Amino acid sequence: MSYAYYPGCSLEATAREYDLSFRSVFTALGLEFEELEDWSCCGASAAHATSKLLSLALPARDLARAEAQGKEVVAPCPACYQNLKQTREYVLESEENRAKLNKALEGTGLEVKGEVKVRHPLDVLVNDLGIEALAEKVAEPLEGLRVVPYYGCYITRPPGKESFDDVENPTSMDKIIQALGATVLPFTRKTRCCGGPVMVSNEAAMHKLSYEIIKEAKEAGAQAIIVACPLCHMSLDAKQPEIEKHYGEELGIPVLYITQLIGLALGLEPYAELGLDKNIVSTEKIVQKYSKKMVKAKAE
Amino acid sequence: MQKYIMNNNDKFVKLLGGITLSGVDFKSEVIAAGGEGITACYQCGTCSGGCPTVSAMDYTPRQIIRMVNLGMRDRVLSSRTIWLCASCYQCQVRCPREVKITEVMAALKSIAMKEGYNSNIANPRAVSFYRNFNEIVANLGRQFEPLLLLKATLGSREGIASKLGYLLKNAPFGITLMKKGKLPFKPVKIARGDEVKKIFENVAKMEAGE
Repeated sequence: MSYAYYPGCSLEATAREYDLSFRSVFTALGLEFEELEDWSCCGASAAHATSKLLSLALPARDLARAEAQGKEVVAPCPACYQNLKQTREYVLESEENRAKLNKALEGTGLEVKGEVKVRHPLDVLVNDLGIEALAEKVAEPLEGLRVVPYYGCYITRPPGKESFDDVENPTSMDKIIQALGATVLPFTRKTRCCGGPVMVSNEAAMHKLSYEIIKEAKEAGAQAIIVACPLCHMSLDAKQPEIEKHYGEELGIPVLYITQLIGLALGLEPYAELGLDKNIVSTEKIVQKYSKKMVKAKAE
Repeated sequence: MQKYIMNNNDKFVKLLGGITLSGVDFKSEVIAAGGEGITACYQCGTCSGGCPTVSAMDYTPRQIIRMVNLGMRDRVLSSRTIWLCASCYQCQVRCPREVKITEVMAALKSIAMKEGYNSNIANPRAVSFYRNFNEIVANLGRQFEPLLLLKATLGSREGIASKLGYLLKNAPFGITLMKKGKLPFKPVKIARGDEVKKIFENVAKMEAGE
């Protein structure tokens, strides 16, 4: 089965390495996908704050396009994932809802039926591919690497009929990390908000929340924080130098996308295929230790 | 007398058992905008206990819910709280009464935006951020982050000095991202952007009751 890949706006810009590593890893694992043609923005938090109807009508266009192809949608950005998933749930809830959204689509020639599922890559990896199949593909086990998985909000919240992980203590990313040979450290802030959604409107609130997450990861002895959300990544990675300055404290902990970590263990090229040079906090130490491709290139 | 009542709206609302003076029941308005379950709240405060941004709020989520149920319209819509809600859904998933608290906050934001409430000092760019976000999506079909940051800042309610200050402060961050090739110079315009425009138009019409 091939998936309709919905990158979302962030993966075309600030989260370029998430897009790159998603494509490389899914391809290497034999998970077929094709980018959803002419996809549009899901509306993110702005549509949600403007009007409930708008927040459902924008993703409805994308869902309708995927339905026309009969493909399940895979959306790596948890905000996109939630918006698309909630739209499907809304459509399936009642005839009335479905009619309402199709009225909002009037004049576009599109119709939404709620026929295709919306999936997050973590869901696909754990439940379609399976942890054992993933472990079999590991070429370079990440032995000795200690990390904390950080899930953030929208991977599990709000839960719906097709949720794939526990809302208070998700473990899908933990299982993947362990299958790669790395060690998962206990972490209490797995699903505590990073403050990303208030980054532009209230910087101080975001700094505080992200600082607490980074700090706990450091105190746990983690060598990296592993994420699966572009906004969490921006708060914890790109904003980390700012947070260090704000709190007058050196943190320097790399933040990797789960797909970058998987790619390393699969033996993919760390820069061209995984974009590990695009993270703001340097990932060099991890790359040098775990990427045989790098070691070979250096020796040559 | 009428002026006195308006100025002391919240007090009278209490006396009138939650009915706002405009004759519209505020909680029904919030429910209609998506804030389901709000009347089921029994004030346990689980929402406030788990809220990540509560320390910066002027009213806790529990208080906001009570205030909505009491019809304290103006005070709720003028609060900082609604703009500080990060929509993380922590409160909503833990609520023992199944109040859709995050949806209540979103409904309050949407009512406040429609009526031009943007008085809070805590979040000068919140409304401008949402408005410009929608505008860019309506025009291009997708978001274009550099333009959004610029427009959200310039369109905020701050003075010109703090607008420029904010942009200057964030310039090094922009340069860092640019160096990494993470800040595109040109927006992507989708092929059938007219469909997205049409959706915005349809929604506006449907909400106006046409």
